[in-house]
Amino acid sequence: MFRSRVATLGAAALVLTACGGGGGEAPQKKTELSLYNDKGAWTKYFDEMGAVSKQSIGLSIKPTGYTDSAQYQAFIKASFRTNVKPDLFTWQTGGMLAEIVKQKQVADTSAVWQEAIKAGDLSQDLMPYYTVDGKQYCVPMNVAYWGMFYNKKVFDQYGLKPPQTWDDLVKVADTLKQNNVKAFYHTSVLFSFVWFEQLLAGTDPDLYDRLSTGQAKYTDPGVVQVMERWKQLIDAGYFINPGDKTDPADVLKNGKAAMVSFGSWFNTSMASRSMKAGTDYDFFVIPNVNPALPKTSMIFESGPLCSLTKAADPDASMRYLKWWTTAEAQEKWSTSRGDVSANPKVAIDDKALGAVTKDAGSGEYRLVNRYFEATPPPILTAALDGFSKFVTEPATYMEVLQTIQQAADEYWSTHQ
Amino acid sequence: MIRRAVLVVLGLIWLGPTYLLLVNASRPADSYDPGSAWIPSGDFALLRNFVSAVEGANLSGSLASTALYSVVSPLLGVVIGALAGYTIVVLRLRHGFWWFLLIFGGTVFPSQMLLVPLFVGYSDAGLYDSRAGMILLYTAINVPLAAFVLRNFYSGVAFSIFEAARMDGASTWRIFWRIYLPISFTALAAVFILEFTFIWNDLIFGLTLTQTEEVRPVMTAIAGLMTDVYAGTPVPVGLAAGLVVSLPTVVLFLATQRLFARGLALGSVH
Amino acid sequence: MRARAPMLGRFRYGYVAPAALLVAGLLYAPFLWTAYLSLTRYDGLESPAWIGLDNFVKLFDDAALLTSTRNTLIWVVGTMVLPVGLGLLVAVLSYDIKGGAWFRVPFMLPYALSGAGLAMVWSPILSHDGVANRLLGVDTAFLQDSPYNTLAMLLVWTWQQLGVNTLLFVVGLQSIPKEPIEAARLDGASGWRLFRHVIWPLMRPLTAVVVGLALVAGLKTFDIVWVLTQGGPGRNSETLAVTMYKETFVSSDYGYGSAVAVMLTVVTGLASYLYLRRQVTAT
Repeated sequence: MFRSRVATLGAAALVLTACGGGGGEAPQKKTELSLYNDKGAWTKYFDEMGAVSKQSIGLSIKPTGYTDSAQYQAFIKASFRTNVKPDLFTWQTGGMLAEIVKQKQVADTSAVWQEAIKAGDLSQDLMPYYTVDGKQYCVPMNVAYWGMFYNKKVFDQYGLKPPQTWDDLVKVADTLKQNNVKAFYHTSVLFSFVWFEQLLAGTDPDLYDRLSTGQAKYTDPGVVQVMERWKQLIDAGYFINPGDKTDPADVLKNGKAAMVSFGSWFNTSMASRSMKAGTDYDFFVIPNVNPALPKTSMIFESGPLCSLTKAADPDASMRYLKWWTTAEAQEKWSTSRGDVSANPKVAIDDKALGAVTKDAGSGEYRLVNRYFEATPPPILTAALDGFSKFVTEPATYMEVLQTIQQAADEYWSTHQ
Repeated sequence: MIRRAVLVVLGLIWLGPTYLLLVNASRPADSYDPGSAWIPSGDFALLRNFVSAVEGANLSGSLASTALYSVVSPLLGVVIGALAGYTIVVLRLRHGFWWFLLIFGGTVFPSQMLLVPLFVGYSDAGLYDSRAGMILLYTAINVPLAAFVLRNFYSGVAFSIFEAARMDGASTWRIFWRIYLPISFTALAAVFILEFTFIWNDLIFGLTLTQTEEVRPVMTAIAGLMTDVYAGTPVPVGLAAGLVVSLPTVVLFLATQRLFARGLALGSVH
Repeated sequence: MRARAPMLGRFRYGYVAPAALLVAGLLYAPFLWTAYLSLTRYDGLESPAWIGLDNFVKLFDDAALLTSTRNTLIWVVGTMVLPVGLGLLVAVLSYDIKGGAWFRVPFMLPYALSGAGLAMVWSPILSHDGVANRLLGVDTAFLQDSPYNTLAMLLVWTWQQLGVNTLLFVVGLQSIPKEPIEAARLDGASGWRLFRHVIWPLMRPLTAVVVGLALVAGLKTFDIVWVLTQGGPGRNSETLAVTMYKETFVSSDYGYGSAVAVMLTVVTGLASYLYLRRQVTAT
């Protein structure tokens, strides 16, 4: 009986402590920084970076990876109210960044940016995505360009070449169709926005920008036309069934579809399947739908690496962010994953991607922020659901646009 | 005979997906083709796939803590839950049904909604990223199931057992510990198995309430490889990771089969 | 029986206290926060703004919630019929034959698999152009059209959960005292009649557990939908728990998501209460 009473008291004490607590924080000198991220699968690469930085600046990192980005974001937001403070954390550009900057949580990195641009470690083009009210926050953790990965063997078999114009691309798709090969991959889960974003940015990038800031409506004629074009492509039989759950990398590898549109990080998937760039598969920039546009629109994705104003050792966190932008760090970071780098000095092994990075750096393209970052979360949720419905039932496009616009109306009525 | 035939047919259907899992987890990582997923590759690359899945990750700390959580919490949960069930049914606690409802009510909350408040509470209480905190939470999650099963189990046990023991002057604690716990051993084992599996496979609480490798459950290190598109994990590697981390649970199932093998005639203590 | 030594009374509360405190402190208390948020507008960052019952009013306006409710009902009914019904069948067929435990092994194995593992195993099967298509000679994307995608996921769920139910049923069968069965046998009862009139009533306590757990699990269905379809395409396979999750975490509309959570919790609590009350008066 005595034991049970002890157990009772113990449980009560624990419950009570769970209600009180909290402690003061003294400034610390840190040699190991925690790095919270929603790229749980990149732990290996973060660990490798930690080893290099320890050598270089005496600071190592300890990655804590999440697998579900929605849960991760909720966790980071909640952490602002607690004494569990990440030293470094990954985030999203766009509204998500502005939101936490407004809470005065994110450390100002304007000085890091200025120096890095002067030293040629960061390009001026990236700056707008990291600027809120004239100041810079965070540094680019990764960058990726979106384009078309294609199965080279399939292309060779039918004598096809990477298209230079939109009409060429449609012709390629048509040739494949006549040979009973599906041209394009698309999906109803998560990445359902890819074709919408590509078609809209390639038709009217200004409309794309206005749409993401609430100055245009999803029911505007320009947007409707994009949906109709997308529907035509689906009706023409160029796409695989969206109910195909095969990993896109296996779709491309096995020639189930000849082309898959993804970010340059898709290279990691290819490499882990023993696919060689230039021989088994390759990459081309998707031509604009509207040939009259001055520059080719290129979807671009960049994930920030941030630190907090109230970090345990703000100085160490800032030193780390600064190091992250250097060529030494970026060389390691991009080669280990086979992706491109935010640092123009870094040479990219992959020929096609190397060329794209160089062209992007010299202002060849109109960079368009990926839909996922450009669109505020509640609208994005409605849009991803809408596009996933559309790919399975293309005839519903008007209904889909109206549903998305409804979410947009609700959002913009309370924001700005 | 008919009974065996039905069991075998159903069993074979159930083994179908398990077969696909084994075949494709053992396939060399770069030779997966969904068009012929059911054909064995002739190569046995399971371990190679698993090694490449966890390459670089330091799993030893995670494995130790996961093992700790999934053994200790169910043990505590089972005893605490059984004690509550015993008190409600055998000791006929006043308003016992409402006490039971209070405890069982712990299962009705959607666990996703507990994450943020638990995280905030844990970080205030200094329980964030601690093994004690994880054991405490997992125990709390386990208690309602144990209380439910044992409460109902004890309600089927003849009350005369309790009365006889009281006549002999045994205390209520002694009766619980020496008589009721042992007679409910198979029920306790069934609950333990369920809870062990739940904790072993738990992802969301492990992700939200821990940080360091020594405290973080092993599933948090594995799940990203299987779900994250940025990972680019080949299907055989993901399957091998899923298969290998399930092995301890499978071993537990097989090791405890004998407990549930007794037929009716032997099964009762009455 | 009512007469008790006085010392017993004092400690009985000590015996339920650990269970009650753990549950109250770690499961009830956090949910209070959700209940509070359901009455506010909150994005996870700024302070919650009190808006009274607005979120609950919105529930009635939300067409998507109808689909979620319908799918959740399919899950509840389906869970009772398939994993519970088949689980009972396997338990009854195997509990008293020689080597019965080994016949149950194929049904236990899937339970060991985690959610992510489950998706990896079943996606290629249910995919368009997948294994099931080829086996059945049809051309359907099983995870696409509503409500068939919910039914397909229910089969996957059955595949994974059947073993657990069997296990609990076996525990129930083993706990039956042998005297009433022998008495019935002497009276000439056997086979179906023996099962229906003697065994079935006696295994009721554990049957109540299996059904009660299935009821709660069915109402709270989340993981399997999230890993296989994320509630899509076009929200057509969402359950209430998936809607709650998406509103709260994906759209950062904590207030509305919490309102869905509160509604779901009230329904689950009420259903459990009604079911358990009947069970208690019956036993």
